Amino acid sequence: MAVLVDITKCIGCEGCSVACKMYNGLDFKAKPRNIKDGHLELDDNRWTVIQEFHTANDSLRFVKKQCLHCLEPACASACFSKAIQKDEKTGAVVYYPDLCVGCRYCMVACPYSIPKYQWNEQFPQVAKCQMCEARLSKGDAPACVSACTTGALISGDRDELIKKAHEIIASDSRYVNHVYGEHEVGGSEWLYISDVPFEELGFKQVSDTPVTNYSKSYLSKVPFFAAGWALFLAGLTYYNHRVEKNKKNQDDENKDKED
Amino acid sequence: MTNKISRRKFLKVVAGSGVVGFGVMAAGCKGDPSGAQGWIPDQYQGKGDFPVNLKGRVAISQDNPSIERDDEKCILCGQCVEACKNVMGVYGNYPLPLKNEVACVGCGQCTIACPSGAITEKRNIQDVLAAIDDDSKHVVVQTAPATKVSLGEEFGMEPGASVGKKMVGALKEAGFDAVFDTCFSADLTIMEEASEFVHRLTKAKDEIPHLTSCCPGWVKYCEYFYPELMHNLSTCKSPQNMMGATIKSFYAEKKGIKPENIINVSIMPCTAKKFEVGREELQVDDQRDMDYVLTTRELAVLLKHKGIDLNTVAESEYDSVLGESTGAGKIFGATGGVTEAAVRTAYYFATGSNPPADLLSWQPVRGMKAVKEANATIPGVGTVNIAVCHGLENARQLLNGIKEHGSKWQFIEFMACPGGCIGGGGQPKSSVADIKQKRIAAIYKEDNSSAKRCSHDNTEIQSIYKEFYGKPLSEKAEKYLHTSFVNRHDRLF
Repeated sequence: MAVLVDITKCIGCEGCSVACKMYNGLDFKAKPRNIKDGHLELDDNRWTVIQEFHTANDSLRFVKKQCLHCLEPACASACFSKAIQKDEKTGAVVYYPDLCVGCRYCMVACPYSIPKYQWNEQFPQVAKCQMCEARLSKGDAPACVSACTTGALISGDRDELIKKAHEIIASDSRYVNHVYGEHEVGGSEWLYISDVPFEELGFKQVSDTPVTNYSKSYLSKVPFFAAGWALFLAGLTYYNHRVEKNKKNQDDENKDKED
Repeated sequence: MTNKISRRKFLKVVAGSGVVGFGVMAAGCKGDPSGAQGWIPDQYQGKGDFPVNLKGRVAISQDNPSIERDDEKCILCGQCVEACKNVMGVYGNYPLPLKNEVACVGCGQCTIACPSGAITEKRNIQDVLAAIDDDSKHVVVQTAPATKVSLGEEFGMEPGASVGKKMVGALKEAGFDAVFDTCFSADLTIMEEASEFVHRLTKAKDEIPHLTSCCPGWVKYCEYFYPELMHNLSTCKSPQNMMGATIKSFYAEKKGIKPENIINVSIMPCTAKKFEVGREELQVDDQRDMDYVLTTRELAVLLKHKGIDLNTVAESEYDSVLGESTGAGKIFGATGGVTEAAVRTAYYFATGSNPPADLLSWQPVRGMKAVKEANATIPGVGTVNIAVCHGLENARQLLNGIKEHGSKWQFIEFMACPGGCIGGGGQPKSSVADIKQKRIAAIYKEDNSSAKRCSHDNTEIQSIYKEFYGKPLSEKAEKYLHTSFVNRHDRLF
């Protein structure tokens, strides 16, 4: 399941971020933890935010920010306790607090700096958009998408949405010819189209190579290396034991002979 | 026995728990994902693109001077969208992508529709309380006609209870230095507007149809959506601002108070007035006409904060100089009222005598019909075709018709809110079905029982022209009582 965000259709009502807080039981009273360049950023009680931009040609644009749910999530690959997993059925990158050890590798790994931390909890968890995985698995749209009245958010099959996005871009010359999220870090479930260049709207320019690719070549060999090393050590131990045993037997025999 | 853990034992525990952990994970035990602990209304269950009756909410920008919203109270019921779109014709009537403004005329109908109290007027109660406590300031308050028939509801009275005199008593007890009647400046508006209308009818025919401009929600709507009709708008300021400008000039002079030491407060049924007072065009000699607007609901909060009960407070009269009013000024609060009052005085200006009885109880312009049509025959002027429209969605449809076919009317009254000011966005909330009719009935009852029914009969109006303004549309009147408009079309289109 994927979502297409048409930035030209957003009027900034923030119904999506309210729906997110309602559905996920987040704290409305929590003060914003991160404000960067005048923009409200995500935090542990804001899994999605709307950021306001005044563009170079004096237009007002609103950009929804949340986890993009990468096809090859770096956060999930960085997590050694499997607390972040990509759900095969829905495509959502889901966080399981019961498995989390709190190392925060995911926060470092994410190319978009999405995962946030509950800094003022006794037993803190990581916080990020779950793409309403429970709703997706029932066939419902994410809460934010269902609350959008202007059609700025549409959910559906990823391939179909990409096709639709390109159709929209082709039919209206105002759009920038770029579907953000189609190829970025290997592609994501969330896709954006816009009439203002993405760099102006605070979108990070990232490589098309999945983050996991950089370490895949050698990290993928780690299990084999570890198993091989264990086998090698086991063999060495066995050999040493045998040598010692043989030596002991020989010593015993020699002793017997002397006796 | 020593309980010392050997190295071997320790490694066994670590490795064992590792194996168990991996086993649990591999078996698919991962607990629940975070989130999904909350609640979401029924219309959001199911696929997002399923059609539903009501959903979403309107956009309210941070710097909106009229209204604000508390997200924690918002239940995404969609009632505000319903009001903004289907009653006021704003939401959905401008193209996307946005230009550089979040469209809002400030009418406040969403605050009335909001069932959880998430959307409210932007409150100025603290500002006004601070001004009252500041001894160096002379705090003047004026009360709009529609508030006199609705404030009682906030104190448990019957809908339509007339509480004008009690409100004056309450305001004086609350510490305001002078209490004036916006009905007085409504009479002043009529003097100017009726003169302007007669002038346009006879000498400036390109400015016909004459469109009223006392409703700030409608004026901003016109600036947004119909800038080509801006020259048809009456240049008269709204009664609120005519009063404000008069207080800071005529009254200040008379009382010997510096205008900068006067704080002008108004009690209005309206949230758009909060936007209006901030308009740059509405200041004279660098003095803002008005300083603060309190809605009827805010006044109730203020009075309760001061421990004043409207049921028991002593009645009082408006202060003189700007306190006398006629029936014509009083009916400004109801749809059709401005028209009826203007026609009464236009008739006098054209003929020199007061209008006949049927124009003093002019039924065709009264009532809740979306667009009311009437014609008045004024000797010397001829027959004037008039339309009265309330609710901006109705206005939108009417104006689109005019754009296509031209106007068959010479005078059109527009009020943003359904029912006129009595149905304003700052009025007490109520679930009584015919609340608007009850308030309107109360207004016409006050008109009927007034000794004077026409604005030009107001003796304080006569003396203010004699002492200060000279005559309607004089140079001084133009300076203090007339304004200009701002084309806002390209902020949306």
